[in-house]
Amino acid sequence: MMRYIFSLLCFLADLSLYAQNDSVVNALEEVIVIADKNVQQNSTGYKVLTLSDSIISNNRTSFTSLIRFNSPIYMKENGAGGVSSASFRGTSASNTAVVWNGININSVNNGQTGFNSLTVNLIDNIAIRSGGGTIKYGSGAIGGTIHLNTTLPFGYFSKHSLQTSLGSFQTLQNRYKFANSNTRFSLNFGIAHNRSENNYKLLSTPFENVNGDYENLNTNFSFAIKTSLYSKIKFYFTNYSGERGFAGELPNPTSAKEKYQNFNNRVLSEFEFSKNTATHTIKFAYLTQEYRYFEDRDMEKYDFGNSTRRLFNYDFTYTFNNSTSIESFSEYDSNIGDSNTLQKHHRKQFSQALIYKSEIGTQILYNLKVRKDFNSDYDVPWVYAFGAEYHLSEKLKLRMNGSKNYRVPTYNDLYWPELGNVDLIPETAKQAEIAIEINNKQLQLDLSFYYIDSKNKIVWTPNGDPNRPNKWIPINISKTLNKGLELNLKYNRKHHHHYFNLNLNYAYTIATDKTKKKSLIFVPKHLTNLNLAYGYRRWNTFYQFLYNGKVFTSEDNIDILSIAAYDISNIGMEYHILKTSKQQLSAGLKINNVYNEIYEVSPRRLMPNRNFNIHINYKF
Amino acid sequence: MKINKLIITALTFGVFATACSEDTIDITQGDYQGGLLISGEGSGAGTGSVSHVAEDLSSGTNFIYKTVNDKELGTFLQSMAFSEENAYITVDNAHSITVVDRYTFQEIAIINTNLEHPRYMAVVDNIGYATNWGSTSDPNDDFIAVIDLITNTVTKTIPVGMGPERIIAHKNVLYISHKGAFGTNNIISVINIDNDTVTEIVVGDRPDELFFDENNILYVLSEGQTIYDADWSVTGHTTASISKINTTTQAILNTWSFAEGEHPSLLAMDGNNLFYFLGTGIFSFDKADTSLPESSTIETGYIYGMSVKNNRLFTLQSSFTALSELHAYNLNSGAETGNIKVALGASKIYFN
Repeated sequence: MMRYIFSLLCFLADLSLYAQNDSVVNALEEVIVIADKNVQQNSTGYKVLTLSDSIISNNRTSFTSLIRFNSPIYMKENGAGGVSSASFRGTSASNTAVVWNGININSVNNGQTGFNSLTVNLIDNIAIRSGGGTIKYGSGAIGGTIHLNTTLPFGYFSKHSLQTSLGSFQTLQNRYKFANSNTRFSLNFGIAHNRSENNYKLLSTPFENVNGDYENLNTNFSFAIKTSLYSKIKFYFTNYSGERGFAGELPNPTSAKEKYQNFNNRVLSEFEFSKNTATHTIKFAYLTQEYRYFEDRDMEKYDFGNSTRRLFNYDFTYTFNNSTSIESFSEYDSNIGDSNTLQKHHRKQFSQALIYKSEIGTQILYNLKVRKDFNSDYDVPWVYAFGAEYHLSEKLKLRMNGSKNYRVPTYNDLYWPELGNVDLIPETAKQAEIAIEINNKQLQLDLSFYYIDSKNKIVWTPNGDPNRPNKWIPINISKTLNKGLELNLKYNRKHHHHYFNLNLNYAYTIATDKTKKKSLIFVPKHLTNLNLAYGYRRWNTFYQFLYNGKVFTSEDNIDILSIAAYDISNIGMEYHILKTSKQQLSAGLKINNVYNEIYEVSPRRLMPNRNFNIHINYKF
Repeated sequence: MKINKLIITALTFGVFATACSEDTIDITQGDYQGGLLISGEGSGAGTGSVSHVAEDLSSGTNFIYKTVNDKELGTFLQSMAFSEENAYITVDNAHSITVVDRYTFQEIAIINTNLEHPRYMAVVDNIGYATNWGSTSDPNDDFIAVIDLITNTVTKTIPVGMGPERIIAHKNVLYISHKGAFGTNNIISVINIDNDTVTEIVVGDRPDELFFDENNILYVLSEGQTIYDADWSVTGHTTASISKINTTTQAILNTWSFAEGEHPSLLAMDGNNLFYFLGTGIFSFDKADTSLPESSTIETGYIYGMSVKNNRLFTLQSSFTALSELHAYNLNSGAETGNIKVALGASKIYFN
């Protein structure tokens, strides 16, 4: 093994440019203790994949590439740093919910989250939950949810973390995090700044990526106080402001001029009271989103959109005995949105959910959930979900779930000038999943099979409304069937000072339009990613691999309108200059796209060539 | 690395040499001579493209530019113009005009400087005149790019009113319909190409297709505009019309006005007949008629492109998420004579 490490070092030393990445592999030694409690508690029978701070740190350049290299989710991205969205199990982008500390933050305008219009540098922990039945996080997540969590542990510690990194294409990232706590108080603060010219060479063309620059600033501030033996107050605040160009596409990328700015503020306060068998949680959230779109960045003129959301919820859980509980969840959600072309619309929704959890013997855990929404804009159906786990042995578990979900039409679908359709009804989907999990000290395996049957999918259709000829109108039209399997395999080995870690995801997806009998566009049949890490004393190295199968871009599935399959590899290493319990100083290098692969994830938009990133990380 | 470069260079030369020698064998003809060329705008699903179809629609080839040149044209392919030997492909979003041999589709040049949202081009001798929207954030920077077709460069620009669309040349005079880009306009610009003087004729809102007949009379279709209130509810319409214009006096000789709320599109001319699309069908009338027809000649469903030649009608049932369909009809019998799959977002039909 050391021989390989040695040759790797020589290889690196040979490169004239030391650029690089990040702090690699503390992941190996780190025990992940804080998978979001709520996500786990609500996910009996579902698959939850957790990304720790060190994985996030290894992939800090973009949220999109973090998800792309570490989960079974397919990311559709309009070139590196462009508009980006996530698709679980062949479902659409608006079927993926992004949940920040328990609050669904998808835009009310397009129902999605732009994965390049937020950063994850300051997020402590990300949980990825596949499948619907997300009851408490809103009903729209037919495909799954991505949870961004801030952790606020109690205990005596104080930790500063400073990270700076410099990469190709004038990419500069700086991050400072501070956490402080005692037994009654916990504080978490962070500030991160990223900027890049992102002007990589478009391999095989005379051009470079034009107008793809970005810059953003993110601040987090959170704290928790134990006010008494039974009660806790938590407060979370985050502010984000970002600006980026939308890069030009081939064959003439030089003409690109578009610019996009977005500003988000999110405040969440939470009060929890738990005594004996009863737990009460009250949450209040206030969220604002604003975007500005400049068609021509040299001009003052821009389009804009704003939304303000107020959310109030109350959760009451009563536990009968140690194993059975009933939970009531009530929520009021008020959402006001407008844009330069859309008048103010105020959507109000009241939701009530009931969750029953219990056990049969010691081997079977199960839960039943129902939710009903009352929406000011349209009627919404009941949704329900169940999940169950059967522990065959300590190491072997069967899990299954089923649910009915719906996704409400977005403001764009309903109210887009000239084109919106106020007669739309929610999309609905029924799904089921069965899986096997193997867990032992070194090896963890999760293999699941799923089935999602959707109808009344909203599709923007030319001449969709006969009364509005020549216009593209969103209508409830398509029926789809998605089925497939997901595999996650983890292997950890520690021997003396050697650490070895493997993490593999594989997704096989068959997603079909039932009427057209064709594959859905932008769904790869095969998707796999692999992360290998090896550490020895103060050294850490890692290797990342991604294979993304061919995707069709046209509904008739013709080859000439498809994006070819690609595979890319990244490598990285890190050395701990200081490694004591009080201070850790490390420096590292990451090489992305080591083999200088020419590939695209979106038509006519080539992705970055081989590039480098160096970082220094200091914790004290 | 260097060796790779050498090999690539050597290969490239090889390919060039082969391509050139083939060219010299076959100077005037090509695979795509005769028949129809269909241009498709493209969309998020794929590139703008050109299809070649036999005139009886019995066979066709899609993506001919990409097949020949192993390159994409980009989105959105707005239109094509022709000289005797070349085709000029205007791609709006790529801010480019790609010059190809009209019969082989071998690329000759790409003009991509001094163009901004180019739309349509007219050719007069060795000069091209291309309408450009300029920045869509600025209503006052729209222009005609004057292109030297020998060097394939823009030599000068002529400022015009907002949203210039179609352009045709008639006896050293250019006629340009101003549909208004993302807004609305209602003028025809008239440019004398000897001295670049611009005059304007006011017509109905949103003028698009325009044609000359053999008597030097200009016909223009104005689609009319839908008026919305702040909540995007329809509060009214401006009248759509077809204008008949004497170009010597610039006087409007006749106006065929449509009923309130009707928004016709896709004007075509064949002999003495004018054709347009409204609702779900094609209407036709003789240019001597004083009133518009009451019922359609052929029901086609929604179409996005149309052409008429020698009493044969060609329509495009366009899809922007998959290939489109070209349909042909015999106007005497009203019968459909064929159909074939063509370009993504197909919008224009040309006879090659």
